Amino acid sequence: MNHYLVFLKKELVEHARTYKLLIMLVVFTIFGITNPLIAKLTPELLASFMPEGMSMTIPEPTALDSWAQFFKNTQQMGMIVLVLVFSGVLSSEISRGTLINLLTKGLSRQAVILAKYSAMLLVWSLSILLSAALTWVYTMYLFPKDHLGVGYLLFAISCMWLFGAFLLALLLSSATLVQGNYGSLLLTGLMVVLLMALNIIPSIKEYNPVSVASKTMELAAGKIDPSSVYTAVEITAVASLGLIALAVIVFRKKRL
Amino acid sequence: MSILEIKDLQMSFGGNHVLQGLNMTVPEHSVFGFVGRNGAGKTTTMKIVLGLLRPRSGIVTVCGEQVIYGATKTNRHVGFLPDVPEFYGYMRPKEYLRLCGEITGLSSGQIRAKSEELLELVGLGDVNRKISGFSRGMKQRLGIAQALLNEPRLLICDEPTSALDPIGRKQVLDILSAIRGKTTVVFSTHILSDVERICDHIAVLERGKLVLSGTLGEIQKEHRRNSFSIRFATDQDALEFSQSEELKELNINLELDERILTIVIEDHSIGGQGLIDLLSQKQIVPEKFEAMEPTLESLFTEVVR
Repeated sequence: MNHYLVFLKKELVEHARTYKLLIMLVVFTIFGITNPLIAKLTPELLASFMPEGMSMTIPEPTALDSWAQFFKNTQQMGMIVLVLVFSGVLSSEISRGTLINLLTKGLSRQAVILAKYSAMLLVWSLSILLSAALTWVYTMYLFPKDHLGVGYLLFAISCMWLFGAFLLALLLSSATLVQGNYGSLLLTGLMVVLLMALNIIPSIKEYNPVSVASKTMELAAGKIDPSSVYTAVEITAVASLGLIALAVIVFRKKRL
Repeated sequence: MSILEIKDLQMSFGGNHVLQGLNMTVPEHSVFGFVGRNGAGKTTTMKIVLGLLRPRSGIVTVCGEQVIYGATKTNRHVGFLPDVPEFYGYMRPKEYLRLCGEITGLSSGQIRAKSEELLELVGLGDVNRKISGFSRGMKQRLGIAQALLNEPRLLICDEPTSALDPIGRKQVLDILSAIRGKTTVVFSTHILSDVERICDHIAVLERGKLVLSGTLGEIQKEHRRNSFSIRFATDQDALEFSQSEELKELNINLELDERILTIVIEDHSIGGQGLIDLLSQKQIVPEKFEAMEPTLESLFTEVVR
């Protein structure tokens, strides 16, 4: 059997049995259910905390508020959980030495990187799909009168997915570059912070992968045209592929 | 035919020259003990043979094929058991062997048959729990099973017994001894009694070079000193013999401890026969007469000093 498929199977078994898959699915299920709920309940919660005799006009929540919750949660907590869950996926195998055994049996190093990335992408896709589907169904139930442009919404969700894929590529290539479990996490964090800092410069914003995630809300609401993030989307996709290629090249020569 | 040949291997980490022109040949169907102190370079040598480290210079051939760093072509002949083998704790032994077999390219049927056979051999035939619950000895034995899965012509074990309790050690040694007919075994160790038990060839690594190598018999013969130990029945016999004029004429070293006389004869042309003649001439029957063989331990401490 092909090394890639053999190792992909091993990775998926690992994610399932070491509860990585479970954690991801549970966290994103919770997001999916609470997104519309929080949007619906926020005005009532605010009203109940309001002191006696004081009144404030809070606009009636809409389906858009529910999706705002979705994009906010996925972009912040979701990405943090994603990176933390998969932070040790390559580095722990290197530091523990579990890979050496298989590599001496002729397992191709390229297959290791590609299979690991594919397995992570699969879990990530499943998680965001589940969360989006739950948000969708629940939003329709709680806000039956509101209608959003399905095309815009799907494009925004795809952008969010792409940013997750970019983070995973960053994480995997970091693990080939530095030693230890925390090293790769640190490097990934630093890179993200750097990209965010760069976003302050307006002329770079258009090309920055961070825009892909940060503009999702406006995209979903139809406030900006999808074409305004095309450049960033292309750059993010190319950068992800480039990072994986880098990971393969570095890992091939890495001393284990 | 030699299954593993190492020619003038040099390796250094930073400024530390670990291997300095190592030459070593392992003949087929031998159990080869690779002995050396901690940090002598045993593991480094093995990793180079497996293509996991790039040597500074030197040539390594396995079954006549040159080992190239990073490529794993020659590893199809080799089974490797790391000193502390690490497995995926969430797998069961059979699942792990299946993964290894699929990587090596065995068919599903072959994997099933071979796994059963090997797990039986290493005494894990009826163990079906996850590897995370395994003891060190069990992991070591599973390590042997995975190393033998592709029927390698050469099995390399890095200190397979050093972390084990006496029973675990005996089990591992018995397994290594049992497979000697099919596979050449190279194992590194610093436990000399293990070497004496199962090895037929040994090599001692010190300061990046081999300081001693050959079959156990050859080495002992080569380093045999012309020395004898005689235990007498009575103190009187001992005294009479050790102070005899004939003995003083020979160029010898005498040491009398109670009734045991140790004799080292510098002149190699005179053997033990002379002593026996002298004993018979004096009408003395000793309780024990022994030509002393050097022990591996004394040889080892001598060469690594």
